[in-house]
This record gives sequence, C-alpha cells and structure tokens, in this order.
Amino acid sequence: MKNNNIPSYILAIILSIIFIYPLYILILIAFEPISLTFDRLYPYQLPFDFTLANFESSIKDLSLITPVLRSIVVAFIVSILAIVLSTSAGYGLNKLSSRFSNKIIVLMFFANMLPAIVIAIPISVYFIKLGLYDNVLGIALAQELVVLPISAFIMLGGFRSLPRDLENQANIDGAGMISTFRYVIMPLIKVPLTITFLLAWMTSWDEFTYAIIISPLAPTFPVSLYDYVSRGEPFISASFALIVTIPVILIVVFLQKYLKGEYLTGGMKA
Amino acid sequence: MLKSYRNRNYKYILFVLPALVYIAILSFFPAASVVFLSFKTSKDVYSLSNYYAIKGSLLKATYDTVIVSFGALLIQLFFAILIANILIKSLKGNKIFSTIFIIPYGISTVVSAFIFSLIFAAVGGFANSTLHSLGLPVIDWYKTQYSSMGVVMFADFWKNTPLVALILLGGLSSIDPAMMEAASVDGAGSFRRFIHITLPNLAPFIAIALLIRGVSEFNIFALPLVLIGYHPSLINTLVYEYFTSISSVDYSYAAATILLLIIAAFAVLVIKLGGTSNYEK
Repeated sequence: MKNNNIPSYILAIILSIIFIYPLYILILIAFEPISLTFDRLYPYQLPFDFTLANFESSIKDLSLITPVLRSIVVAFIVSILAIVLSTSAGYGLNKLSSRFSNKIIVLMFFANMLPAIVIAIPISVYFIKLGLYDNVLGIALAQELVVLPISAFIMLGGFRSLPRDLENQANIDGAGMISTFRYVIMPLIKVPLTITFLLAWMTSWDEFTYAIIISPLAPTFPVSLYDYVSRGEPFISASFALIVTIPVILIVVFLQKYLKGEYLTGGMKA
Repeated sequence: MLKSYRNRNYKYILFVLPALVYIAILSFFPAASVVFLSFKTSKDVYSLSNYYAIKGSLLKATYDTVIVSFGALLIQLFFAILIANILIKSLKGNKIFSTIFIIPYGISTVVSAFIFSLIFAAVGGFANSTLHSLGLPVIDWYKTQYSSMGVVMFADFWKNTPLVALILLGGLSSIDPAMMEAASVDGAGSFRRFIHITLPNLAPFIAIALLIRGVSEFNIFALPLVLIGYHPSLINTLVYEYFTSISSVDYSYAAATILLLIIAAFAVLVIKLGGTSNYEK
C-alpha cells in the first residue's frame, strides 16, 4: 500500500511547485532590489538580497492607493447588495414550489452565461446618461450581475436546511416578522450568509471586464494594474500586488472547507 | 383550502422579484439591445454591413478563441483529474497539498496575468532565466501567434484548474469506495479501475465543469489583454479593441453578437452531450 503512494507524492510535489512558483516570483520581486530582478536580462530566481525599498516606494505612490480603496468600496457594495437581494430571493424561492423555483434558478444562471463584455458595452452607454459612468456605484451595480445567481442559490440552500415549522413556532410565541428574522432565522443562516458575502467580495475584487468598460478613468485595482503593465512600468505595482493579494489568499484558505463542488457549480447536479 | 395554499405560495414571488428584475434590466435587456444594434449602421439603416466589414478579423478571432478555449479546457481537465485523484487518497500531508492547489483561486486574474507576463517576458524573464542557467537556448515566447496563445492557455490553466479540481473532487467523493474495492478484489488494476469505474461515474461532473469553465473560457478577457494584447485578438479583446476606438464602435456590437452565439452553441452542445446533467431538485 505504501509503495502505491509514491507516484502520487511525486506528482503532488511537482504540481505543488507549478502552482506555487508564480506566487513565489511575486514575493521575490516584491522583496528583492530591482537591480537583481527587473534590471537584469536574466533575473535571479533565488533570494540573494532583501529590501523593503520596493514597498516604501509603492506605498508612497498615492496613485495606487486610490484604486485599491476604490476596489474595497466596490467589493463591499457588491457583497452587501448580494446579501440583501439574495437573502430575499433565497427566502422566497424556498417557499415556492420546487418546480417553479428551479425554473427561476435556471433563468438566473442563464443570465450568468451572457458574456460580461456584451452586457458591459450597452450598460456603459446607459450609465453615462445616469451619471454612473466612472463611478464606484456604477461598477458595483454591474458586478452584482456576476454574483447574484450564485448568491441566491447559496441562500436558497441555507433556507432549505432550516426546519419547516420554525417561522410558525416563532409566530405562535408572539414574534413579529422582523424579530423572527432577526432573532430566529438570522443566527441559523450565518454560514451561508458568510459564504455569500466572501464569495461576492472576492468576485468583485477580481472582476476586470465590467470595471474597465464602465470605469476606465476611475479604475479599480485590477484595471490600474493593467494600466501600469501596459505602460511598461510593472515594478511600481509588484509589491503592491503582493500586499493586496495576501488577504484574498487567506480568505480562500479559510473558505476552503466550504468550497465544495456544490457551491461552485451553482447546484447543477449529476 | 387548496386555493388559499396556492395564494400563499405565490405571494412569495415578491421576495424573488427584486433579484429577477435586477437581472432582467441589467442583463437580458442590454444583451438584446446589443443584438439589435449590431444590425444598425451609422446611416440608421439596418443591414448586415457591420458583419461584412469585419468578416476577416472576426473569423480569425473566432478561430483563435476556439483553439485557446478548447486547449485550455483540455489541459485543465487533465490536471484537475490528476489533482482530484491525489486529493481523494488519504495521503499524509494532503491538507498542505490541497491548500497549495487552491492558491491560484485566490490570486486575482489580473495579478496572475501580471506575474505570468514577468515569467514569460519577451526578452529575458524568469522562464528564460531558468533555461539560461541550465545552459539551454532561450525562447521568444511570443514569436508566433500560436506560442502567444500557448502562454495564455498556460496562465489560464494555472488560474482555473483549482476550480475544476474542486468540482471533480466532489464527483470522486460520491463514488462508493466499496465498488473500487470489489473491482480491486476481482483483479482490476488501478488503470482499469480508472477507466471502468472512475471515469463513467465522473462523467456528469466533467460535463458540469466543462459547461462552467467552457463558458468562462470563451469569455477570457483580462488574461489575453495583459499577456498578448491584440496579437492575436481573441473575440473578447477584439470586441474591446473595436469598442475603444470611436470609429469602430458599431463593429463591436457585431463581434459581441457573434460571441453571444458561440457561447449559446457551446452551452447547448455540452448540455446535449452531458445528457443527464440537470438542476438539483
């Protein structure tokens, strides 16, 4: 049995190296003096030196801090809106007959398949008229489309797992609708709420297509990183990219135990 | 009694309505307007002229997009099956491996593209530096269009394999271990077990992963834009290229409509082939 596992180990280690190498490079260029990385034709692969100078210069560069703050604001609007819309939708879907609610879910996921760029172009035209162009709210409203179906599905799952009579019992005990929700239901759907929030947050943080088309002049972090790279000045943003990437990796590692197939496939089942 | 039950049932649609209206206004309506506008020319006449004007580059971009999408899908699927098969075994240190394998999922697409642009720099770069230190000749990764597309496929494989692996891992863990054991007792080697037990049981999950990843594969935008720009253009970057220059905005609608068509065709194809895949009851 032990011998059987050796090929698996070798494979796992090779794959691990492939998967970790780019992150290693990002860390390397963040902490190495640029004389050893960007300034060399063949950059060194091993950490020969250590410096915080890159961090200092990138933090001093205020032009990068604004996009990051913007990204954070957008991500919070997207995830809060996702919580509000999908809690309501999940609650409603759970009460509808399952044939009917499945049709609605399919419809939502169908909308999710529409290419972002196809939707972003006409939306940007409306948003110019509405004053939402080059605006954090505009980006957030568009990005909401990406997360809404999966959020509704996750919340539906959360409500389905509740005991059926819960609300009636709370009613009999004299709790009104709002206090039922606040004190009886809320604590029981904490996990799906957290997952919805974090997934929405991460999706918005990562989103590029809507962001670049709807807000090219007031960019989010991904868009401004693209601007730097396309202008040929990647070194300014390298250490910044690392700072903003670490928290998201931590979120993912935390989410790992919840990232079972069912959430990611949006409930499509074999 | 039945009637009142029904009424009670239908009033809950009000809770779903905000989300539905949101999607209808911001998703279905704009998509429909793109199709409509793609036939409109600058002289307010409706014709196919937008399509004719960009026929050549549209065909080329479609062709390249299909190659990149299918190429990247196959690589992802292959490695995802490997990873899922490793993670399903209770190896010592599996927790570390599964954490490592999920890291790319947490690195945003543009940051990944940024790192890969440094690794596969046209001149120098970290990949070439490895080759150089091994005494091997260095490679211009962007020498041909196909090698450029290869760079995009590789970056895409790296970023998205974790997601596919997670979906397939879900599939693998639904296979009854007793079945494997029985086959093993009957003398089936690990390869035959894989072909006759694992693959058939995994097929519906593969179909789901193909559908989800395939649709996003045809939509890849940030990766090619950062890594190869418009050399060659994939459909998304082509749409963007037309959109960003004022003289060709009309063309972007035509290219976008074609993109919509391709995705619809792909979705129908996978659902037909996947056959059994359906939404949860």
